[in-house]
Amino acid sequence: MPTNANNEDNVLLLAENITKRFPGTVALDNVTFDLKYGEVHGLLGQNGAGKSTLLKILYGYYKPDNGKIIIQGRETRFRNTADARKYGIILVNQEITLMPHLAVYENIALLGFLWGKAFSSFNKNNVKYQIKDLMDKYGIELNPELKVRELNAANKMLVQILAALSMNAKVILFDEPTSPMSLRETEQILDVIRSLKKSGISITFVTHKIQEAIEICDRITVLRNGKAIGTVNNSNITEKDLAEMMLGTKLKEFYLIKEDWAGNAIKERKKSEIPLIELQDVYTVPIKLTDVPLKGVNMKIYDGEVIAVFGLIGAGKSELGRLLVGLGKIIKGRILYYGKSIKIKSPTHALEKYKIAYLPEDRKTDGIIPHYSVASNISVSALFLISKAKFLLDLRREHDLATTMIRSFNIRTASPYVKITSLSGGNQQKTLVARGLASRAKLLIIDEPTVGVDIGAKIEIRKTIYKLSKEDNISVLVLTSDLDEALGIADRLYFMHEGTVLKEYIIKSDNVEDVRKKVIEDLAQVSSYI
Amino acid sequence: MSSSDSKSETVTVEKRKTQRSVLRRFLDFYNQQEIARPLIPFIVILIASITLSPQYFLSPSNLKVVLFQSAPITLLALGEGMVIIMGSIDLTPGSVAGLSALITGLVTLSTGNIVLAMTIAVLAGLAVGSINGLLVSKFKVYSFIATLAGLEIWRAVDLTITGGSPIYGLTQYSFFMNDFHTFIPLIFIIALAINLVFWYLLTRTTWGRIIYGIGSNEEAVRLAGTHADLAKFLTFAIAGLLYGLAGVMLVPTGGYVVDPWTAYGYELYAIAAAVLGGIALTGGTGHPIGPFFGALILTILTDILIIMGITQYTIQEIIIGIILIAAAPALTRGLRWVK
Repeated sequence: MPTNANNEDNVLLLAENITKRFPGTVALDNVTFDLKYGEVHGLLGQNGAGKSTLLKILYGYYKPDNGKIIIQGRETRFRNTADARKYGIILVNQEITLMPHLAVYENIALLGFLWGKAFSSFNKNNVKYQIKDLMDKYGIELNPELKVRELNAANKMLVQILAALSMNAKVILFDEPTSPMSLRETEQILDVIRSLKKSGISITFVTHKIQEAIEICDRITVLRNGKAIGTVNNSNITEKDLAEMMLGTKLKEFYLIKEDWAGNAIKERKKSEIPLIELQDVYTVPIKLTDVPLKGVNMKIYDGEVIAVFGLIGAGKSELGRLLVGLGKIIKGRILYYGKSIKIKSPTHALEKYKIAYLPEDRKTDGIIPHYSVASNISVSALFLISKAKFLLDLRREHDLATTMIRSFNIRTASPYVKITSLSGGNQQKTLVARGLASRAKLLIIDEPTVGVDIGAKIEIRKTIYKLSKEDNISVLVLTSDLDEALGIADRLYFMHEGTVLKEYIIKSDNVEDVRKKVIEDLAQVSSYI
Repeated sequence: MSSSDSKSETVTVEKRKTQRSVLRRFLDFYNQQEIARPLIPFIVILIASITLSPQYFLSPSNLKVVLFQSAPITLLALGEGMVIIMGSIDLTPGSVAGLSALITGLVTLSTGNIVLAMTIAVLAGLAVGSINGLLVSKFKVYSFIATLAGLEIWRAVDLTITGGSPIYGLTQYSFFMNDFHTFIPLIFIIALAINLVFWYLLTRTTWGRIIYGIGSNEEAVRLAGTHADLAKFLTFAIAGLLYGLAGVMLVPTGGYVVDPWTAYGYELYAIAAAVLGGIALTGGTGHPIGPFFGALILTILTDILIIMGITQYTIQEIIIGIILIAAAPALTRGLRWVK
């Protein structure tokens, strides 16, 4: 299976026997990676497999401890990223800092045309003209006058790509480019990558999505735990093979998952049962500029039910979740709590009065408390549970709570008292979900519970949510843009689009595939309006 | 890779580990144990001072001076430290301590009742702190701005009340300086005890837990459903109370004289001592006993400068400023930018 095609003429960039150690771990262990002219070479692996580290070594951000980088047959050492850029190797990632208050063309000029020049004349019209040329050449459509802060994730990436192209990039390194994007945005980016490839640019594409790798890559190198498992040609590989290479032994679990869960009998509801929370024709106004207003949302959440709200980015899912903890402005309609109309003032009010907890989507900025230990991160929503006389912390109870949660979620941590930042992304996410469940909320709203974590952690998180919900009769509202997740975890599914609920499906063990087809049809239908 | 290869590799890795281990272990300890941050500089400066001038520095009278001077600074740094842990800043310690000292003097003069005087002075601190807390938590004013206004206003109030003249002879407060044990004055024991109480409060109450969280990631703490605003208000209010108490202590340590310029500029001492005590200006970290050691470091530093004959006030200020600059980056290390 592994083919180390060392056709010298064909290889543009060769990273040979790369080893990179970080304190406590070996991030890359003797990995060899080659990139041919005009190919898309995928790097596939779970979180922590070493994909990003390898990419950063190719970009000169890290120096390898061992191994060589050979460009067009000549060994090269990058002292920093500027060196790599001189060779036309440019990294494009989600986190790169565009300047939000500047226009698209200004960003491209600063990151591209003017890069590395301390003083240089800047002819606006000339730059715009050159950008127009580039856009025509690669089939990119973007208004160069727009401010970057107004762009969506895909268009921000296009700005970076254009900047790279303006520097005559030979190799573009993509680091998980599509993870913050909706399906449509993803397609847009993949199309651009295809046209880049057509004009002879070599591309390294880091992803943890198997589907995506198959769709775009010519060759795929799979990494696992810092080791290269193998490099395969796309033409003769199946998803299952790749998943097997990526996951190792966990594969079985991955495929059994739906049967396991959907098989769980759903409690039959009496018609007379009053929902825990009911939204009646709720309209909101946006609080932030980027918010999507809700337009007539009707929804019922019963006790002990796991509900998925599925929709792409911009469907209003997060806004719905935040509304239920008092972070929204209702202009019409009402929220009922066991049939009584209520007004939720703040997350604190929601948690204390109505037992509603919310876990935000953005783990880094709104979720983890970096200086806290794992235990404190779990207990922060449950301070009333672990304190005496409302303010004296009972560290013993906190310890018990934390260790129980760490066990339930299988959080891999040296101890409950190490800082949460020492954990991997997946384990941080597990900690956050544990926080939600530790709060003894009756309704737990989780915004994208498994985004950006590897499949192993995904499975564990979903399973534990479902299990604890059923055991403790907790209602869970999962806001997700991952259809597999929605179908896998939920008893009921609401399909949201642009601030309204379009459809409601009940998911049973025997109709999962039907619902999947229907939701995909729904999605195609609403997408074709535009 | 053959097994012998991997073995030899492990051996080299092991070797490297032992070579680095002493420094590594020390650095790990230093990074992980927040208490090490103030403790190590404290030990260093103590040894340096003893080496520089053993006969003067270690004399009981000098040690007593160091200890009683550190007491009010400890309380100022403690209040400031809590606010800094929360990711905010408080510029009022100097003005509030000045106001409180003045109130102590005035009430003592007019009533002769020192318990009443001290109570009113401390309550005045609490009141000012509460105003700061309301401005920050209720009216969402940036703490820097809200307390910058306080810095000016309360000093102006001092000047207005007294018309600029000092109050002498407040010897009723000499009991603060009584020796608790040979050269250890009571005032020092009080400050240490208060700091120990706050060690407990900051680590063992929900309030303490929440303020560390606010300094670490305020948005997350709020979304987690905690009473963040209440904790913020309480922190500023309690900090004010501690400044008030520090103001009372400034009466005996300042030679039983109070004037409208008492504690002028002490907000910088408070911040410097908090930072020297290992409380990072970025918020979220710092050991609760830090202010005590920070105040001692600062006081010993001033003391040793005087012993060495550097008595110019300006040079001391410059040296303190330089130390702040040197200490702050070490504590903000790892942060990409500071606003």
